Amino acid sequence: MKLVIDEKRCKGCNLCTSVCPYRIFKPGKKPNKRGILVPELDRPERCANCRLQKLYGRTLCGMCQLTCPDQAIRWEEERPNERRKVAIEY
Amino acid sequence: MTRTEFWQGNIACAEGALAAGCTFFGGYPITPSTEVAEHMAAKLPKRGGTFVQMEDEIGSIAAVIGASWTGARAMTSTSGPGFSLMMENIGFAAMTETPCVIVNIQRGGPSTGQPTMAAAGDMMQCRFGSHGDYSVIALCPASVQEMYELTVKAFNLSERFRVPVFLMADEIVGHMRERIDVPDSVERVDRVPLEKGTLPFSAGKTGVPGFPAFGKGYGVHVTGLTHDERGYPCATSPKLHEELVLRLVRKVEDARHEIADYEIVNPDAEQVFISYGAPARSVGQVLHDLGNENVGHLRLKTVWPFPEGILRKFPDAKEFLVPELNLGQIAREIERYVDQPVKQLPKLGGDLHTPAELKAALGGLK
Amino acid sequence: MSYFDWFREDRLPTIYCAGCGNGTVINCTLSAIDEVGWKREETVFVSGIGCSSRASGYIAADSLHTTHGRALAFATGVKLANPDLNIVVFTGDGDLAAIGGNHFIHACRRNIDLTVVCMNNQIYGMTGGQGSPTTPRGALSTTTPYGAAEQPFDLAELAIAAGANYVSRWTSYHVKELTKSVRAGLETPGFSMIEVMTQCPTNYGRRNKFKQVADQIEYMKTHAMLRKKYDTLLEKGEPIPEGAIVIGEFARRSRPAMGVRRAA
Repeated sequence: MKLVIDEKRCKGCNLCTSVCPYRIFKPGKKPNKRGILVPELDRPERCANCRLQKLYGRTLCGMCQLTCPDQAIRWEEERPNERRKVAIEY
Repeated sequence: MTRTEFWQGNIACAEGALAAGCTFFGGYPITPSTEVAEHMAAKLPKRGGTFVQMEDEIGSIAAVIGASWTGARAMTSTSGPGFSLMMENIGFAAMTETPCVIVNIQRGGPSTGQPTMAAAGDMMQCRFGSHGDYSVIALCPASVQEMYELTVKAFNLSERFRVPVFLMADEIVGHMRERIDVPDSVERVDRVPLEKGTLPFSAGKTGVPGFPAFGKGYGVHVTGLTHDERGYPCATSPKLHEELVLRLVRKVEDARHEIADYEIVNPDAEQVFISYGAPARSVGQVLHDLGNENVGHLRLKTVWPFPEGILRKFPDAKEFLVPELNLGQIAREIERYVDQPVKQLPKLGGDLHTPAELKAALGGLK
Repeated sequence: MSYFDWFREDRLPTIYCAGCGNGTVINCTLSAIDEVGWKREETVFVSGIGCSSRASGYIAADSLHTTHGRALAFATGVKLANPDLNIVVFTGDGDLAAIGGNHFIHACRRNIDLTVVCMNNQIYGMTGGQGSPTTPRGALSTTTPYGAAEQPFDLAELAIAAGANYVSRWTSYHVKELTKSVRAGLETPGFSMIEVMTQCPTNYGRRNKFKQVADQIEYMKTHAMLRKKYDTLLEKGEPIPEGAIVIGEFARRSRPAMGVRRAA
């Protein structure tokens, strides 16, 4: 599963950046069309819920989704073979 | 079939409500309307209905509106000070098109005034008391029999037009005991349920939208904010607001001739009494005593929406006389529609006009 | 199925300011309702006036957005007329404790089967930041420009004293605990009151040294103190740290209740 921030709903409050235990949200730098600094995702594959919610069949953390006051965070099915950036940590 | 009883006006009102299928009563004790609540407290639970004594009149009308949205036929009863407290939520009921019946056994005001004396000082308040433009229906009983009949009618009108309907009685009619013929059953009009697939506040030709009761899967949002046909608030569109308010007013005002309920005596008379509520009884005595056809009587059972068309039913009238238990609240409404002079006969203090006073007002023509 | 299905998607985003805690509280409440498995057609949301009370309009169920302070009186009518409906009341500190104070204590006294979620942001947000009955002493608002001089209400204690069956207080930082607590409230027959301290960055934070949204969240995180610890400190006679927000479950009891759902 893939975490998606809905740009139409996000108001740029950055609460997600402070509540995520994996720190996958970083304050945005570029304003979007509505002039809002939508947070950016930093190596979202570290998020347990993104990786394992399908396996366990339930939401594992979901702090960001519950906290997001604007209902802008959700998880989507990944398309097969979707390209993504992988950072290897040593 | 009917049976004959000897009832107090307030009891007749409560019995009328029960006959009309009232299943929810929310109220607060206040003289001189308390007997209505007491009677409902005794009778409603036995019939599977709900009686609740709220913490104040604001809560009473709120609970009544809440109950009405579950589909219940709901009512409250009160008098002057409590009626003033209810005003904000009456506007809410008008805006959200909630059927409900509010019985006001009027007493002398302003403020605490005369709790045990009669008045009709709330006639303008029931029409214009809440802020903003809206329209309501108000009925005025003049006898114990009418306390029963007009309460039934109030329920049926509120269900049909989805507006708050007022039974504007007074202490005299409320506390008077009289013979009454009680029918075995009464006509009952139910609110039309919303057709599935229709927007909850889309009114169609009648101007009255179908009712989406809570708990039936409509998922309706009811708000006192200016709302569109979906029921969603949209408080900044001038056009939407105008359309909504005009519809709320028109659905009642356009039906004023249909709603009008009145009694005419001697339509060819030159001097015509126009009365509503308790003073109609004194006028009746005057007509009985005089026994001639030169004094007429128009007795209004519906005061709001004001049935101005009936005033034309007195083609020979040279003068209208309006005895009222206030300083001329409805007399001024009559003045708006007629060319003839309107003689105000106000009376304050709680006593009814005596027939002698009314005869004196007729002057030399009697 | 997740709690997201309870939203009226066509009405989002909400009218709330960026960083407002109310959206979080709605998430937690809906999440609890989803867990309990209430049916949408049997659930009614009632609210009064204010930022918090706009919540009912964003939920795809029967909802009644009423007049200022009267939500509980309306809810009483709905519940007593049809006890088979489940009712959640969204309200705020001004709505519940100021203009609706009388309805509040009487709803607690009746112990009527409602779940009340009070979003206490300690300010009148919608009208532009006036002092409310829960504004702490010394806090700045547009009507307390020299600092609030009045003693604030403790809403949870008030609910307990008035007779509610379930009372708790959490903050919009404690989302998991809040969700659990709302669930407990939904499942408790009788009056349940869940007070949630929420941030109002626009009208409270801005005037009271919380420059960023996160600052106020951080404050709630660091100053929250569980009821148990608070009681221990009191027992030992040790000082209570200044600005402590006492959180936790305050009351769970089974006094006789009104309007409880009839057995199926």
